[in-house]
Amino acid sequence: MSLCTPAEHSFSRRQILGAMGSGAACGLMHPAIANEIAKNNKQVLFVWLDGGMSQFESWDPKPNTRFGGPFRTIPTALPGVHFCELMPRMAKLADKLSIVRNMHTQDNSHSAGVPRILRGDPANRGVTYPYFGSAVSKLLGPGESGLPPYVWIKPGSGGFKPENAGFLGPKHGAIAFGDGKPPENFSRPETISDEQDELRNELRRRFSDRFAKGRKPTANEAQSYVYDMARKLMSRADLFDTTKLPERDLDRYGRTELGQHMLVARNMLEAGVRFVQVTSYGWDTHGDHFNGSASLIPKFDMAFASILEDLEERGMLDNTLVIAMSEFGRTPRINGHHGRDHYPEAWSMVMAGTGLVPGAVIGATDAEGIYVDAPQGHDIGSVFHTWYHALGINSMKEEFYNADQPLPMAHHEMEPIREVLA
Amino acid sequence: MRTVFQNGKPYRFHVNRILVIGVIVAGFATPGHGQDLARKIDALIDAANAEAGQPVAEIADDAEFFRRVNLDFSGVIPTVEESKQFLADTDPNKRARAIDRLLGDTENYARRMREAFHVHLMERRGENKLWQAWLEKSFAENKPWDQITREIIRADFRDEPNRGAAFFYTKRLEKSGQNPTDYPGLTRDVGRLFLGIDLQCAECHNHRLIDDYNQIDFQGLFAAFSNLTLLRLEYPAVEEKLMKSKLEYASVFTGKPREVAPRIPGLGEIEVAVFEKGEEYVQVPDRKTKTPGVPKFSPLTEFAKQIPESPNFSKNMANRLWFLLMGRGLVEPMDQFHSENQASHPELLELLGQEFATKKFDIKWLLRELALTKTYQRASRIPEEKVAPPERFAVAVQRRLSAEQLMWSTILATGHEPDNVQLEDIEPEDDDADEIPGLRSRFHDAMANEPKTPEYEFSPSMKSALLMMNDPEVLKLIDAMADENATVDGLYLQIFSRLPDADEKAEWTKFLTEAKDRRAAVRDLAWAMLTSTEFVVNH
Repeated sequence: MSLCTPAEHSFSRRQILGAMGSGAACGLMHPAIANEIAKNNKQVLFVWLDGGMSQFESWDPKPNTRFGGPFRTIPTALPGVHFCELMPRMAKLADKLSIVRNMHTQDNSHSAGVPRILRGDPANRGVTYPYFGSAVSKLLGPGESGLPPYVWIKPGSGGFKPENAGFLGPKHGAIAFGDGKPPENFSRPETISDEQDELRNELRRRFSDRFAKGRKPTANEAQSYVYDMARKLMSRADLFDTTKLPERDLDRYGRTELGQHMLVARNMLEAGVRFVQVTSYGWDTHGDHFNGSASLIPKFDMAFASILEDLEERGMLDNTLVIAMSEFGRTPRINGHHGRDHYPEAWSMVMAGTGLVPGAVIGATDAEGIYVDAPQGHDIGSVFHTWYHALGINSMKEEFYNADQPLPMAHHEMEPIREVLA
Repeated sequence: MRTVFQNGKPYRFHVNRILVIGVIVAGFATPGHGQDLARKIDALIDAANAEAGQPVAEIADDAEFFRRVNLDFSGVIPTVEESKQFLADTDPNKRARAIDRLLGDTENYARRMREAFHVHLMERRGENKLWQAWLEKSFAENKPWDQITREIIRADFRDEPNRGAAFFYTKRLEKSGQNPTDYPGLTRDVGRLFLGIDLQCAECHNHRLIDDYNQIDFQGLFAAFSNLTLLRLEYPAVEEKLMKSKLEYASVFTGKPREVAPRIPGLGEIEVAVFEKGEEYVQVPDRKTKTPGVPKFSPLTEFAKQIPESPNFSKNMANRLWFLLMGRGLVEPMDQFHSENQASHPELLELLGQEFATKKFDIKWLLRELALTKTYQRASRIPEEKVAPPERFAVAVQRRLSAEQLMWSTILATGHEPDNVQLEDIEPEDDDADEIPGLRSRFHDAMANEPKTPEYEFSPSMKSALLMMNDPEVLKLIDAMADENATVDGLYLQIFSRLPDADEKAEWTKFLTEAKDRRAAVRDLAWAMLTSTEFVVNH
């Protein structure tokens, strides 16, 4: 390696690798958020059950009622609180959860409802709000890991999803790992050795830094940042590989798509990724809903319970906000196809982890699960405020800026759900 | 020996030739050989900087200027031979000559402007051969901006040579999923892109923050554009429906019903002319023969006539052309022309708008005047390490290169001819999934913004880094650089379009001399140069 080491620019491969390993290399961080990192090491696991999970067959069962459906209920770790029998493992973890049983939102269509929920449905100010993941990416940055701050593990295709970022700008969009696999051009061709790769990137840095001298630094910072982040991710191909994990883990999480993706999510969180979204599709059970639930919900139960157990065992729940939800719940009424339809009026979502009161059950629905108890229930705006507060961000005071336009972080007429905030 | 291209005609040069650069004239060829406008521009910019106590950068050296002007007017870095000639040229007037030569190179100028205006007008929504051909022809002929605008706004399918222009409408009127046809989006884009006003917030009520933007401005445009039907023909086409009355609308605040006829912001309403049944058409639609109809009352025809009279029409394009060369608009954001958002140099904006109109919206003329200014020709280094806010134009902005500029420049900088690399044709309609995507789509996917997002700023993404680090086709281009006879001077000229300074030359000569495998070292050096910040911005 003497090739690339003129005395005045002495370069040690060990130094570079060491710095990357410790995660302390300032060059890996975007300077604008460097200060934020010191303040906040919180992470988010966001499990999205696309299409609409039924509250009846999960968190808020109504057995032996007109719309209750065929399943029985089981007691949970919380005295007096029952879950549907399809969730035996989550039932044991109920005392770790904060359960909101009086969700009451505004949109019953998928195409509008999904982005509306994921953007927090603030009052219309003529701008597109960021998804929660983009907002967290902007507010908390990539952290010390140097890995992309907002990753999305999903079935199907992957890619870069700048549209999620709304007015925050494309760089806060998600990087989606389709089928839990890395992005295009992720692997370095075998013809390029580790040494050559270190060398060419060190050379790149030297050219770039020399160019930046005496010039406005932002262009070079942006260019260097994307290379550093790409290389950091490439160095962690292991994050995508679940085949080498213990058999026991594979069994606990379930040998299903969702189980596998949840294991990738665990790897990502352990590696320090700021915000990990895991999406499961197929929850829009307008027909044959009960057989569908009998298949879907146990898969979710295994995967979600396993990652909660593991996060707790590793002490990570203290720093990690965990969320599982859909764009709406499902109707009490059972339609002619043994299905349940879209229902934003009264449904449930759960949270766990940092900043929250474990074992809190918020709100209730009436005996048949048709209405929420409180006059309003909780709209997604107050849930967004709750999440921000759980992450140590005062969304009632802080604001986003879109150019010079100050924008509330979440719906300006709503407040966090104080009862679940620790 | 490797080949490069010049104006599409490859010629040859030796990489290993010891470069005889001759004595490069100290100092700089003087800018300001321009006409009155260039001098007036500099006077206004200089006066504002003097008043603000803002130090300004020196004039860029010849190499920086030459790379910049080539990227701007032919969309690609200069060839080694061109750079060598320019650097060796002792004519004090050589910058003006270079500008004129590039603007006179119709083929490359038209391609570059087609690429730039495609991004400007379509914002990466998609491509269409007729549209691209129409754009390129328009710039090859140096069509005035008002004529280009008229052809887009009128979108007359009977005007066969200009049919491609309708793609501006048709792409925006395509259905997306279950969503209704986005007539409001089209209306908004006409305001943004031709008049510099973003009326999005004025659709449902008068703009709450901007007094100048009223609901009637949005609705007056919307009256005409929501009257369009997308036709399914083998070329892009829309049809105007019969309009029998004004458009009714109401403010969501007051609920008061109102109505408006087609109207361009700042101009009067166009009276809706109603004809007797059977008398409504110039050309009656015939669904059997798929002949579209042409109503006698055609708001688009009236819009096309009137739009150059709209108060911001000339200033909007002057501002966009200023942005194209200076990296920042005089008005920013560029679609926020209103009294609360003054231009950084209001007098200058007025002047540019007036002169552009006086010269009958001659784009090439305005680009030439801008390029001749000292303001355009400043260095990108900050004087005395002081902060230079971009709106002062005291130092050249480091500008984003488009996916196209980067693609062409990478091809040229790695010593290839465009004919010998795999560039698939633009075939938007029949994406063949089996085909290995060529370089164009690789660069496009990695470097272009997502659809509907303007490309104003340098904002690289991780996928651009992954492309350059790992993509086999891109690496193949760069592998061709592995040449043991390559010199540091040669690499700098070929990739950075300049010569190294003494430190750079010493450092890299030593690096290459000490290399065990010189070919590999040259290749790695070339890769690092191509991925460096210096290469990926126009500075």
